[in-house]
Amino acid sequence: MLLETRELTKDFGRLRAVNSVSLEVRRGDVHAIIGPNGAGKSTYFNLITGYHVPTSGEVIFKGRRITGLPSHKRCKLGITRSFQITSVFPKLTVYEGVLLALMSSNGVTLNPLSRAMNYFKDEVWHILEDVGLADHAGVRGDSLSHGDKKRWELAITLGTGPELLLLDEPTCGMSPEETEATMILIRKLAEERGLTILFTEHDMGVVFGIAKRISVLHQGMLIADGEPQAVRASEEVQKVYLGGVA
Amino acid sequence: MKAGWFRQAWWLILVAALAALAPHVISEFYLMILGEALIMSIFALAFNLLFGYMGQLSFGQAAFYGLGGYTVAMLLTRLQFNFWLGLVAGVVVAGIVGLLVGYFCVKLRGIYFAILTLAFGQLLFVIIYKWHDFTGGDDGIQGVFPPEALRAPIVYYYFILIVFAASVYLLWRVVNSPFGYVLKAMRENPERTEFLGINIARYQLMAFVLAAALSGLAGALWAPFYRSVAPFYLMWVKSGEPVMATILGGSTTFFGPVVGTFLMTFLHAYVLGFTYFWPVIMGSFILVVIFLLPGGILGFAQEKLREKRFKGVSPDGRDQDAS
Repeated sequence: MLLETRELTKDFGRLRAVNSVSLEVRRGDVHAIIGPNGAGKSTYFNLITGYHVPTSGEVIFKGRRITGLPSHKRCKLGITRSFQITSVFPKLTVYEGVLLALMSSNGVTLNPLSRAMNYFKDEVWHILEDVGLADHAGVRGDSLSHGDKKRWELAITLGTGPELLLLDEPTCGMSPEETEATMILIRKLAEERGLTILFTEHDMGVVFGIAKRISVLHQGMLIADGEPQAVRASEEVQKVYLGGVA
Repeated sequence: MKAGWFRQAWWLILVAALAALAPHVISEFYLMILGEALIMSIFALAFNLLFGYMGQLSFGQAAFYGLGGYTVAMLLTRLQFNFWLGLVAGVVVAGIVGLLVGYFCVKLRGIYFAILTLAFGQLLFVIIYKWHDFTGGDDGIQGVFPPEALRAPIVYYYFILIVFAASVYLLWRVVNSPFGYVLKAMRENPERTEFLGINIARYQLMAFVLAAALSGLAGALWAPFYRSVAPFYLMWVKSGEPVMATILGGSTTFFGPVVGTFLMTFLHAYVLGFTYFWPVIMGSFILVVIFLLPGGILGFAQEKLREKRFKGVSPDGRDQDAS
């Protein structure tokens, strides 16, 4: 077990966005969280990464209770995330973004006098090649296409050396071809680097093609959790989610 | 390789040569103005470490500048302190107060950070201004002399030039270091930076202390240069000077604050020669720059150069993906 949440609950005023979600994420899995808009997927993510503090419940990572830990400490433990709204660095180049992540995860960022560009050259290129951004290394964030921004996000997240990678709608806003390419990339990275991936998605086709496990959120509650076939067969899921799409 | 290095740095060598020759060419009046511009440039560069690189607008930076000046002035006139130790003390005092003030300020961002730095700055100003017995109050402190060897304007000018060059070198190293990259990342996107495993408040505090200490250094150089200090050195008006100079020169470039400071200082000296209404002229000048050269003088030039270099690549980079 890599990650576990126990009766995790988050209220915003009178709205219960996440309602007592108990979930286990196994090491090495590609695990999808699906649910219609407003199901609480992003809030649930934010509870795991430390962006929100839960109203009640626990988050346990590698057997350690991390419920109250700030985000940067969770990152050091091996949890990292990408953002749904591509939230990158507009004035930094693709290369610099990945370099930053590597410098941070290797603990050299307190060094105020050495030349940053001399660090981790091979590692940066390795990651850029892995995600297919090597020919865009010198391009600034604000000049990237949407799909490339998403890939850059992924490259930066890889640079932080994660064990658990949280991807919030990694294919949001992509064309079908880009979506497929991204999903293949994610699966490849999970296998090659031994990552555990937890991601949210609203495109059902994408999820069933790649995830080993699927959890379904609806109105903040976990209504199904298991193998793709089992989830697809669940009556409740068909009623609240699949039925709505068809 | 060596030729490549020279192609990039030739102008730096040229400027250094000009600065070294200047005292033998220009009048003593303009030599004083040049010295002032160099000192204020250190101040503006320190400010821009926070503003341009870290993305936080400090509107109380003059407090540290003034503290540096007052520390030197009080140690030299009251305790007949060694000049060099006095300078070091000025930097240290500014840095320590920076640590205390920064501890509270770095918890905030944007306008809240600006307002809190302004409030702390004014608080320190009022303390210096009102505490007559200790600081001399609104009389300030006069008779702050550098040691005999540095007393001639030309010698003190060279001394300032060396300290300026050392400060530029130090800051250049800092902004290109891993620490400097963290500052830039925090400017661009603090939230994302935190998810790289960075403790934002800690890095911002470190930069704040460094900027405070360097502002203190500028003040500590100024006091013996001008032979006196006055409370208004800590005031918000003084804090506005590096803000204006940096916006004028370009906050996104390393040397922007220096260019802006030189323009402001020399324009001030020149315009004051025939009118007391210099703020009107300065204000019009800044308006023109903001409207015609967005990003400041160097910032605008840099952006134009970049566009030229990237010509042919569509802004979203899609034509490279087409294959």
